[in-house]
Amino acid sequence: MIKFRLGKDEKEVLDYSNLTFFRKLASKIRDPRTKFDVKEFAKRGDDYLFNYVNKNVGSVDEKRRKFLKSLVFGIAAAAVVGIIPGVRVLVPPTITSVSGFPKSLLVDSSGNPIKASSLPVNSPVILLFEYPMTGEPNFLLNLGDSKGNPVEIPPTTVTIPQTGKTYQFPGGVGPNKSIVAYSAICQHLGCTPPYIHFYPPQYVSPAQLTASEPDQLSAEALLAAKQNHVPALIHCDCHGSTYDPYKGAAVLTGPTVRPLPAVLLEWDSTTDYLYAIGAIGVATYPNGANGVPSNDPTDDLSNSYGSPVGDKTTASGTENPFSS
Amino acid sequence: MGVSEWFKERLGLDDLPFFRTPDYMYKVEYWLGALVAGSFIYTVISGLILLLYYNPEAGYSSTETLIQEVPYGSVVLYSHLYGAYAMIILAYVHMFRNYFDGAYKKPRELLWILGVLMLVLTLGTAFLGYSLIGDALATSAVDVGEGIITSIPSLSFLIPILFGNYDAGDYGRVLAWHIILVALIGVLFMLHFFMAEHYGMMPSKKEKNKAPAVYTKEEWQKFNPWWPRNFVYMTSLVFMTWGFILLIPNALAYLNGLPQELNPFLNPKPAPPPNSPAAAHITTYPPWFFLFLYKIADFTSDVVVFLLIGVIIPLIYLLLVPFIDRSPYLDLKKRRLFTAFGILMITYLIQTTIWGDLTPGVEIPVYQQVIVYLPPAVITLAGVFLIPTSRKAVASPYGTLGFLVASLLFSGSLVTLVVSPSALTATVFALFAVLFLLAARSLTPVAIKVEKQSQQPEPQPVVSESPRNLEVKKRLAEVLISLLFIMSVVLAAQLWTIPATGYASNMFGVDLGLIFVMLGEAISLYHYVVYRK
Repeated sequence: MIKFRLGKDEKEVLDYSNLTFFRKLASKIRDPRTKFDVKEFAKRGDDYLFNYVNKNVGSVDEKRRKFLKSLVFGIAAAAVVGIIPGVRVLVPPTITSVSGFPKSLLVDSSGNPIKASSLPVNSPVILLFEYPMTGEPNFLLNLGDSKGNPVEIPPTTVTIPQTGKTYQFPGGVGPNKSIVAYSAICQHLGCTPPYIHFYPPQYVSPAQLTASEPDQLSAEALLAAKQNHVPALIHCDCHGSTYDPYKGAAVLTGPTVRPLPAVLLEWDSTTDYLYAIGAIGVATYPNGANGVPSNDPTDDLSNSYGSPVGDKTTASGTENPFSS
Repeated sequence: MGVSEWFKERLGLDDLPFFRTPDYMYKVEYWLGALVAGSFIYTVISGLILLLYYNPEAGYSSTETLIQEVPYGSVVLYSHLYGAYAMIILAYVHMFRNYFDGAYKKPRELLWILGVLMLVLTLGTAFLGYSLIGDALATSAVDVGEGIITSIPSLSFLIPILFGNYDAGDYGRVLAWHIILVALIGVLFMLHFFMAEHYGMMPSKKEKNKAPAVYTKEEWQKFNPWWPRNFVYMTSLVFMTWGFILLIPNALAYLNGLPQELNPFLNPKPAPPPNSPAAAHITTYPPWFFLFLYKIADFTSDVVVFLLIGVIIPLIYLLLVPFIDRSPYLDLKKRRLFTAFGILMITYLIQTTIWGDLTPGVEIPVYQQVIVYLPPAVITLAGVFLIPTSRKAVASPYGTLGFLVASLLFSGSLVTLVVSPSALTATVFALFAVLFLLAARSLTPVAIKVEKQSQQPEPQPVVSESPRNLEVKKRLAEVLISLLFIMSVVLAAQLWTIPATGYASNMFGVDLGLIFVMLGEAISLYHYVVYRK
């Protein structure tokens, strides 16, 4: 009888691994194919047995080890094969170098070109399109007077308070020359809609002084609107910067020290379509915002924002900040 | 064997000045340093990949570009962060393990001091790396750091040296310092490593219970040479470390809307940029490994006192401990005061970290500090000095230590619950209560056994594993290796189908991490089958 767990005063006679070895050896000896020569064994004794074992039984552990080793190397190979697609991490995403502003047709969210004559006047709904790069939103505005009639936006000279330099804003486009577009990223610290948005004339009133964020108007902004006879405003609720949409988004109140850059629009009078064709003023925030503003609007084409919008850009507006 | 022999001969592997390892040391607790080194190497490699894309003049936007547009960029970035986390946690574990083993004693004093310096450098590097993202959290962390420095006027000259033009959005200096500190860690690591190989790993207290705890040349020659067994074992540990570093953050990237208290620990994603409207609505917090400092800053408005409590005193203690604790004894019961200090350091570190997480920036009056910090000190000192000296009467030193730590955390969390009751403190308390009960229960049978043993002093014979059991386990290990092979092939095939960017791309990190863990596990099983006797 073989016992594997030893009692108190019992001593081990045979190692288990030796036992398995003996069993294997015995079965090999019985196997006629291995030609175990009894006479030879009787003659040469140990030497013969040693050779026979080496030839036929072999080292069991060596085989087992090789098999396991190959499995481990197999897993390592799987890891290497798995890493191969990951090497793509070294390939930088394609940088589309843009030398100039694209000419982009403005389309609505279902892909149809926007008709200039059907743009609502003084709409409180925030209508945005990305231009010239993805990640650079711009307001599309059809400006009117306080009665809601579209007004012609004449060309004007805009001053950059930070540097005292000026540039020429070309004025509105469209059937009434009342359509303009400005960057929707506040030049002060980069707040985006709905914190910065357009306030139609009916909302430029003392009632907005107590409205909740993001529809509040500061008393300073209201005063500036009154003094400059501006019916509607672009105002940022983060820190209170105010811009004059009728004068090329020039600065009305601080803390901003730069006007909003304007997107140059083109109106095709035969089709009534609108195209974005360039930008003017300072660069879109934050480019040129550290210290001195960049006067080069082509900074907007730096690829830190994303990719160029191409020949079509979607103008979509769903949010009316005043109705919430 | 041919290939192995060839390399052994060509590389002179037998003549390497590497420590030969006795059989009993093939356990992970003797290899904690290798785990730290493994995470260091991972973090360096992933950091070099990130360096190809990072632009210090546009820290936040280049980080965003990396996450959104670079193929597998977020996989590399998140695992770089968690590689650093792993390195910090493992460095603490490695340090405290050696502290309780008395490994800082003769002749390993310099080894210990180098290690402490490396911990400081690691935390500094981690802070700088955290600042490179330029999100609202990073800028506020830099503000706090600058605030601490400027409040000591004679130190304010350091700010331009350290941070350069950080506030204007130029992170060039921070990036440079981040890399310089890593290079310093690398240099110190080489020294630390070769000294460790020279003295050998800290032997078990059963073998050497007095300093100098080193094996003699004769003993040493009988142990296993570095090639191939140590190499095999080390590889398994390194791959498992790398696997978890890849796996955890990329899986966590799919968790959204964590409660604020868990964000410092579990959220690998950057916060909004500091100039965005969203930044006004987030609670800023430091990285988890500085939460304790953040809390200490709430205790006092005096920066010098803050630096003394939070940094200088613990650091000087750790640097000088080899020269304060000069007895040759390694046994915890023969250096009770130092044991107590060690337990208190761990407890205070964890307690203060959790506190900083729960009440960031809330000032704490002195009486609450006393309520929170006095009981652990009393319990530890009493506990450590009440452990009987007789060998038979106690459980293993580690078991007792575990029980002490558990009871400390238990009492600490109870106090925290009382001071600031919330769902989280309650959960933490419940967790530690369970831990405490388990520890107490695991100690009870030992205590009972001790009584029984003292009644019948005959020692139980040591039952070693029967060969048959071992054989069965080895067979099982072989089956497991085969299964791991099959699974890794399936996962490797899956890796080719994962998109390089976007929401699904983090699955690449999860899958690759799993393969690494499986590879590490397979090597470990191979080691078991081939070398375990």
